[in-house]
Amino acid sequence: MKQYKYISVIILCLLSLHPVYLIGVERTILLGPKTIGRAWKDNIVLESRHFANAKAGDILTVYNDQVKGGAQGAFQNPATWQGVSPEYAYFGINGAFKLTLTDTILAIARTKGIAIGGHDYRILRATLTDAADYQETITWRGPSVTMKADWSVSAEIPGKTFATLRLGDAVCFHLSKCEEGAAMKLMDFTWNSLDPSLDGVPVGGDRYIWQVKEKSLLLQLQLMGDGMQTAVRVGGKGYRLDKIGIVQFVGTVSDDVSDAQHAPKEYVLQPGELYHGEHTFPSDWSGNLRLTAAPFQKCTENDVLILSYSIDTEAVSAGIKPQLSFRDGRNWSELTGAAEPVWYELDGTDVVYMFDPVALDQVKTRGCIITGVGFTLKRIELISAQ
Amino acid sequence: MKRYHLLFTAMLLMSAGCTQASAPEAEQQRVSFSLCNPSATAETQQLWQALCSQYGKKTLSGVVANVDWNTRETENVLAWTGKYPALNVFDFINIHASKDVNPSGWLDYSDLSPVVEWHNAGGVVGCMWHWQVKANDGVNYTCSPGIEANKTAFDASKLNDPNSAEYKQIVHDIDQVAGYLKKMQKQGITVVWRPLHEAAGNIYEFKGGQPWFWWGAQGAEAYKALWRFMYERMVNYHKLNNLIWVWTSQTGDKEWYPGADVVDIIGRDNYYALQYPLKKEFDYLSQTYPDKMICLAECGNGDEVDMSLWSDIWSEGSRWAWFMTWYDYSYNNGSSQDHRFAGEQWWKDAMNSGVVIDRDEIKKLMENRF
Repeated sequence: MKQYKYISVIILCLLSLHPVYLIGVERTILLGPKTIGRAWKDNIVLESRHFANAKAGDILTVYNDQVKGGAQGAFQNPATWQGVSPEYAYFGINGAFKLTLTDTILAIARTKGIAIGGHDYRILRATLTDAADYQETITWRGPSVTMKADWSVSAEIPGKTFATLRLGDAVCFHLSKCEEGAAMKLMDFTWNSLDPSLDGVPVGGDRYIWQVKEKSLLLQLQLMGDGMQTAVRVGGKGYRLDKIGIVQFVGTVSDDVSDAQHAPKEYVLQPGELYHGEHTFPSDWSGNLRLTAAPFQKCTENDVLILSYSIDTEAVSAGIKPQLSFRDGRNWSELTGAAEPVWYELDGTDVVYMFDPVALDQVKTRGCIITGVGFTLKRIELISAQ
Repeated sequence: MKRYHLLFTAMLLMSAGCTQASAPEAEQQRVSFSLCNPSATAETQQLWQALCSQYGKKTLSGVVANVDWNTRETENVLAWTGKYPALNVFDFINIHASKDVNPSGWLDYSDLSPVVEWHNAGGVVGCMWHWQVKANDGVNYTCSPGIEANKTAFDASKLNDPNSAEYKQIVHDIDQVAGYLKKMQKQGITVVWRPLHEAAGNIYEFKGGQPWFWWGAQGAEAYKALWRFMYERMVNYHKLNNLIWVWTSQTGDKEWYPGADVVDIIGRDNYYALQYPLKKEFDYLSQTYPDKMICLAECGNGDEVDMSLWSDIWSEGSRWAWFMTWYDYSYNNGSSQDHRFAGEQWWKDAMNSGVVIDRDEIKKLMENRF
C-alpha cells in the first residue's frame, strides 16, 4: 500500500511539472484570430512544444470562420512548406478541419512544429484531442462509388446510415483516388442540394468530415428514407466514396488556455503603408517579399517608397553585407530595366526609393519583389514627395 | 409598306459597316467596324450597330452564367444594384450531359427557356464554350491537355484527316452546338459568340508557359485551322447568321489570330484586372487590331489582387466594349458570404459610374434606334 502511495506522489509531481493531458480532454493550443488571406501568403506555425506529449492517432482540430468561396486549408512542414503528408497539402474547408497525427507527422511536429496555411479563411483556435475521444462507427460500407468528372454519378445512401447521428456529431466520408479539383455534393433523394456548404465543396485526402450543426438538417437526414430507402445522394466529381462513418466526441473540453500559443495581434495597415511587421532576409537569400501592383495604381513619379528595417548583426558578424534590390514582379529583372541589379547597401538608415519612368511602369503593371540579405524589414510606406 | 422596305434596306446598307470614334475618344480617330459575315441577320446587324454606337462612350455590363445554362449571376447584380446587367453569357461546357443527347444528363441545352426569357426581357445573349472532350481515361470529360488520365491528348491538328476520330468528334460537337444556335436564330436571337478562348495560354508570359486548353496544345497553326473550320461549318454549312464572333487574345499572340475575315471583336480575359495594366492591354489590342472593337471578355478579382473599380478603370482611359465578370458557385449556393470575383461594392460602383449600360438601357437603345 505504501509503495502505491509513493508512486502516486511521484505521478502527481510529474503532472505538476509538465502539463500532461492524459485522456478525455480537448485542449486549446492556439488562440486566434489569425487571418489566412489570399494567395497562400499567410500561415501560422504551431510551436513544437504542443506536440511533446502527443501520440499517433491524436487529432489536431482547427476551428475557423470567414470562409470565402474556394477557400483551402493546409498543414505544412515549416522547414519545407510542403504538406506534412500529401493529403494535407491542400483541402477544401467546410467548418472545422482536422489532422490525424501519425508517427511521421509527429516527427515533424516535435522538431519544427506544424504550419497551418491555405487561403481565404480565419483561424479562431486550434486544439489537440486524444484519439480515443473520437469514436467512429462505420454505418455504410459501399460498394465504393467513383465520381466521374462530369458530376453524373452519385451514391445512394440509405436512411439507416444516419440513424444514430446526433446534433454535433460528424459524418465522415472515407474517400480514395482523389484527383485534383475533386468536389463533393450532398443531395436529397430528389437531387436537390441538402446543405449549401456541401454543394460542390472541394475534397482531398482520404476523408471528408462534415459536422452536423443544425437541427433541421439532422431531422432531414433522419426522416428522409426509411431504413433501406435512399435518404441522401452523395455526388460530385474526381473521387471514390468507400465508406461513411458517424463520429462522436466522447471527451470533455478544457477551458484552460494557460498553455496556449497566442496568434500575433492582427495589424491593420495604415493609409500609405504597404507592409508592417518583421520580414527576415536571411543569409540564404530566401527572404523575398512580393508587393502586388494594386497599391501602385495611382502612383506617380512624385511618389517614393520608404523602407524601414533593422540590420541582422549576426549576419554582419558572419561577414555578410546587408543589401537589398528591387525587382520586377514577374520575371525578377531589375526594376529600372537595367541589365544588372542595383543594390542598396544597408547601414540602418531608411531606404528611400524614387521611381524612374521604367520602374513606375513596372510596379503599376506587375508589382515588385524586394530581395536581399542580412536585415529584417519592418515597414514599407508609399508617400508623395510633394 | 414600300416606304418601310426602303428604310429597312437603307438600314442594312448602313449596318454593313459602322463608323465610330475609336477609344480613347481623345484620339478623335474614326474607325470603321464591320461584321465579317455579310449575310448577318437583321437582328445581328441591329445589335452590331448598337455596340458600335456606344463604343468609346459607354461599356455594356455583363456576367457569365453560373457554370452553364442559366442567368443566376444576373440576379446577384439586380439584388445589389436594382439593375440587370446588359449581357448574360451562357456556356456550352456540358453539352455531353444535355438531355437531348444523353438520357442520364442533368441539363437540357435544347430547352432554350433561359435564353429566350433573357432575350425577351431585352438582354444581350452571349455564348462561350469550354469545349470538353473525353479525357484519356475514356470516362470523364475535360478541356485540359496532357497525358494524365484525367486530361486529354485530343489532337486538334488531326482536323486535317477526315478519317480521324478527332475530326469526327470535332464535327459532331460543332454540329450539336450549331443546332442550339440555329434554334436561337429561328427565334430572332443574336449571339455574341466566343469559342476557343485563351488558346495561347501563358506561353508568352514566361519561359515554360503552356496552353491550358486542348485547342491550343498543338500550336498556332492547328488552332487557326480549327477556328476557321468552325467558322466555315457554322456560317456557311449551317447558315448561322446570328453570330458575332469574338476571339480572345492572350496579348502578344498575334500569330494565333484567326484573321479579320472570321473575327468581329477582340476579347481579353484578365484576372489581374487593375486599371493601369488593363489600360496598357486595351491600348495594345486597339493598336494591334485597329479595325476591331475590343472587349473585356472575362474579368474579376484574382488570386492576388481585387479588380479595380470600374470608375477607376474608366478614369485610366480604357474603353472596353463590354465587360463580363465571372461566376462564384459558392456564393450562389449560399456557402460563401462574399462574391469571389465581383461583389456588391464593385457592381454598385459600376452601375453608378454613368458609363455602364444595363439591360434597360440596351433595350431602349435597340428600340429607339431601330
